[in-house]
Amino acid sequence: MQKSTAMDFNRYSLDPSTYDEMFLPNGEPREHSRRLHETLTNLSAEDLGNIQERVTRSFSNEGISFTVYGDEEGAERIIPVDCIPRVLSGAEWQHLESGLTQRLGALNMFLEDVYNEARIIADGVIPVDVVLGCPQYRVEMRGFSAPHGVWVTICGTDIVRTNDGFRVLEDNLRVPSGVSYMIANRKAVKASLRILYRGSQVREVENYGRLLLDCLRELAPRDYSDPTIALLTPGVYNSSFYEHMFLARELGAELVEGRDLLVNNGFVYMRTTDGLRRVDVIYRRVNDEFLDPLAFRPDSMLGVPGLLHAYKLGNVTLANAPGTGVADDKSVYAYVPDMIRYYLSEEPILANVETYLCRRPDELEYTLDNLDKLVVKRVGESGGYGMLVGPHATPQERDEYAKQVRANPADFISQPTLALSRAPCLIEGDFEPRHVDLRPFVLRGRETRIVPGAFCRVALRRGSLVVNSSQGGGGKDLWVLED
Amino acid sequence: MLARSAQGLYWMGRYLERAEHLCRLLRLQTEALVDRPIREIHFGWSRIYRSMNRQPPGGSLDFSGSDDFTLADSYTLADDLTFERINPGSVWNCFAQGRENARQMRHCISAEMWTCLNLTYLRLQNLEVFDIWRPSPESFYAETAGNIDTFIGVAEATMYRDEGWSFMQLGRYIERSQLSVSLLLAQLDEEKLTDEETDEDWASLLRVRHAIEAYNRTYSVEVHPNQVLDLLVTDPLLPSSLCRCLDIAASELASIGHGPNAPASGAAQRLAGRMVALINYDWPDREDHRALLEQVSKYCRELHDLVTATYFDYSAEDSPVR
Repeated sequence: MQKSTAMDFNRYSLDPSTYDEMFLPNGEPREHSRRLHETLTNLSAEDLGNIQERVTRSFSNEGISFTVYGDEEGAERIIPVDCIPRVLSGAEWQHLESGLTQRLGALNMFLEDVYNEARIIADGVIPVDVVLGCPQYRVEMRGFSAPHGVWVTICGTDIVRTNDGFRVLEDNLRVPSGVSYMIANRKAVKASLRILYRGSQVREVENYGRLLLDCLRELAPRDYSDPTIALLTPGVYNSSFYEHMFLARELGAELVEGRDLLVNNGFVYMRTTDGLRRVDVIYRRVNDEFLDPLAFRPDSMLGVPGLLHAYKLGNVTLANAPGTGVADDKSVYAYVPDMIRYYLSEEPILANVETYLCRRPDELEYTLDNLDKLVVKRVGESGGYGMLVGPHATPQERDEYAKQVRANPADFISQPTLALSRAPCLIEGDFEPRHVDLRPFVLRGRETRIVPGAFCRVALRRGSLVVNSSQGGGGKDLWVLED
Repeated sequence: MLARSAQGLYWMGRYLERAEHLCRLLRLQTEALVDRPIREIHFGWSRIYRSMNRQPPGGSLDFSGSDDFTLADSYTLADDLTFERINPGSVWNCFAQGRENARQMRHCISAEMWTCLNLTYLRLQNLEVFDIWRPSPESFYAETAGNIDTFIGVAEATMYRDEGWSFMQLGRYIERSQLSVSLLLAQLDEEKLTDEETDEDWASLLRVRHAIEAYNRTYSVEVHPNQVLDLLVTDPLLPSSLCRCLDIAASELASIGHGPNAPASGAAQRLAGRMVALINYDWPDREDHRALLEQVSKYCRELHDLVTATYFDYSAEDSPVR
């Protein structure tokens, strides 16, 4: 029988304006991608197709699903996964890790500051209206000091790479998701590329649950070794329910909904088959607005009446704290480099993406004049909803959007359309470049912990820059190598 | 454990038991289409609908006596009982409900149990009655019942024996007891309506319950209704006998413990014990078996309500803090 021919990169296109994760501009594979490149080019199309099929099937067999809002209620969808890992060198990771640690340190200090003395405003580093005008600023948290100064325990930072290096696109400080896909991708891909994995010295990510547990325990209000931890989910119809279940399992925590909890005398209890049991730490995946109908939205069915009160008394720890959204607001984002200089007296290790705040008249003008070149985002939205990718929009769409911007300039920011780096993906049996970003997860207990890895998102539609899974994006495993 | 998780596992157990039971009935029923007389096929369908307390599509069963009509009607009835989305008791709905409870409580069961259930779900998801009818409906039902049996086997081998296990078992065995009783009552009621020879109808009951070999060994190859009834109700060696199911339910309940309210859980345990005693001590001397089965059926429903009120939906005000 004739052996089918090996795969090659002959039709794979490189674009000098875009960083390629596997290849140097001259077409040679990068040093840390050599082994992967060699393996891929030794496989037949059939073998690679089988690998891809196995990875995809393992997701559907395991029911690793997410829900897209607006779909038939609760329809489970499988996130598409590309079987070819993206590889980072140890040195690249080191750079990211120190930048992320620095950034989260400053953001936690910022939160402690803006809900207390607000020195950063008094000193004129950030305008008062940017902070107080932000809908995520919670007056209820004023005068509150978070346990150990940790407002953000779990942070998922979106990072992109251009020819100029890594840049932070967005800090997700409320209820960031995706870490379960990081681990699921790793499990599936390493099982399918076993020999390559074994030989590549990839750093481990599967101990994430352990590190998260350590952080949550360190923040427990009672000083005893085995606090009761619960993960609060909005329920099975939430887009990330799979992840909530997965993390509860990793943590050995109960997976609770609001209706399972109650507050009595300032303490939080959950309903067990054996009566009420006190809860010490809640990793909550419910948004601020829905957390406590007595403090926030009174119509919330997902929350627990009195929860905020119990938290402020110090009888329960919430991770993340309510009110962290003010620090990942898209307008406040523009000031993060200044925060780092202000609180830490250090230069930012990771740069921001250049950002124009439409609340400033000159930047609004610039934005409207250059709509065809910019990406415009709504300050309060996430998940790729409500944004305009100027170069990919029709003139009508741009006109329509400009009207909305003019009506409420403070709700919008704009950024240059970045040439996000690209990585090879298996598309219809051949290698094609697709845009990627990465979301590492930074944990903060009494110290900072980061697993060397990330949920790497891929814009699977040709030419698309939108990597969100709700918008046709998929995932990839990301390998950080030991140096 | 969290009360809602325990409730989820309890219902997972109940729904999967229900799905499996219906698959067994339908397997037998579709096998009968190959070679059994029309009267028997008719009897089988009526018995299923009566035991489920459900009206067949069209309101009543009316077999005209011709083979063609019987086959066409059977196709409609099988669809109604297997894939009909608006029939809450269809195989698909029971299975999907069981799997949905498992999905929400995935952190409380083993990973292997989930995978096993999800693979079956993926197989059933896009099927319609047309797909199973041509090749062989009986093998579809056999395979689906087998998948659920496999799930139970995987659970036996891998699930941590905490309260979650006990609640799942409690759900399974309360459900199985109720299904057995309903089927036996339906058999007795249908039998009254017909005046023909009925041995084969009783023998088919033995087949549903995997009891035909046990019967042949214990009694003889000749089928006597009273002996069939005795075996299915009182034989402690038969895995699906009523006395065994009730016994397991009672002992799982005992292993769960007091819960938040000791008097309430005590009442539940006594009720379970009373059902076991009814079968063990009353059955042999009673003439009116039908009335006794009615009694057990009522007690099963009461036990379900007591378990729900004691462990799942208790009032938080008067429950102890642990």
